Amino acid sequence: MKHLNRIEFVDLVESPAALPVDRLRHVERCERCRNQADALRTVHSLARADDTPEPSPLFWDHFSARVAEQLRSQPAPAAALRWNPVPFAPWAAAGTLLVLLIGIAVLRTTLHAPAPHNRTAVSTASALSGDDPLDDPDNDEAWAVVRAAAADLGWEDAHEAGITAHPDDVENAALQLNAAERRELAHLLDEDLKRNGA
Amino acid sequence: MTVTRDRTEAAGPEPLPLPEVADDRTLVDACLGGRREAFDVIVERHQRQVYHLCYRFAGNHEDASDLAQDAFIRAYRGLHSFKGQAAFSTWLYRIAVNVCLNRVGTRAQKWTTLDVADQPDLRQERADARLLRGERAAAVRAAIVRLPKKQRAALILRIYHELPHDQIAEIVGTSVGAVKANFFHALANLKKLLNAK
Repeated sequence: MKHLNRIEFVDLVESPAALPVDRLRHVERCERCRNQADALRTVHSLARADDTPEPSPLFWDHFSARVAEQLRSQPAPAAALRWNPVPFAPWAAAGTLLVLLIGIAVLRTTLHAPAPHNRTAVSTASALSGDDPLDDPDNDEAWAVVRAAAADLGWEDAHEAGITAHPDDVENAALQLNAAERRELAHLLDEDLKRNGA
Repeated sequence: MTVTRDRTEAAGPEPLPLPEVADDRTLVDACLGGRREAFDVIVERHQRQVYHLCYRFAGNHEDASDLAQDAFIRAYRGLHSFKGQAAFSTWLYRIAVNVCLNRVGTRAQKWTTLDVADQPDLRQERADARLLRGERAAAVRAAIVRLPKKQRAALILRIYHELPHDQIAEIVGTSVGAVKANFFHALANLKKLLNAK
């Protein structure tokens, strides 16, 4: 049978009851393990018999005063910031959600901000429906000036003057419209086509 | 009147004196909160155990008191790192063991006995017995100092402080199995050293 290992020897010396019965039986039969255990027990007893010498009773007061004196020259120990992930997690999640919501709101506002030409289209629609007389292009003096200046302007002249739209501009503008604006644009185009007899 | 009230509120209530029975965690928190005197209570409470530990490592009173003082100062400096996961005494033992292992080598120590063995005793038989015991104790202490550091730590904490193996493992930062193995080798080497004398 296997001899006792180091840990089993320690258990045998300190508390034999902790060893399984078969290991204790082995020690009874094995002279080598028995001798080793006896030697360890002897040294263990010898070491235990030596009490740590006590200094003078006056020493303790002297010692604590010495330590206190040394500590006076030390900076006060500051409480460290303790990282506690459990309470922090809900706050982090809430903060992240808030930032995301603000980001989405800002993005939506920026993307769907009405462009000047769209505003004209919406204003025209409003004027046609008679909701807002101030946006009525027929009664708008500034719009009348623009209309008068452009009355004699032909397509070719505008093109040469560089005030024509680029090929993708209309498509880009249409992509930036929101659902209501797209409906209004479709309505205007439909009316224009009907008026021109298409 | 208003000024007086504001000053009173700003200064806060007078702190209550720390009770001697306050647990270590309370004392540590009080100390971290700016009440240095809380550490005096900690020192008074643990100085004996820390000194004895240092005495076993150093082997003489002067070095032991220096090591113990160093251990307490290090503990004070690092008080914020005490998380309270282990007992304060375990944490303090760890600091003291590290101080001892770093400062005390395996060199031969000058051993001083503080018992009264060298006082004259008219009863010859008793005096002889004391002398024999004193010599044996000196031999054991000298042999312990010559043990490798980890074996020494395991033996001192186990035999002279009667700490369980799992707490020793926590103090020296190793496993229970390693502590028991070191303890076994410490006893075996102690036997060799004592037989060689």
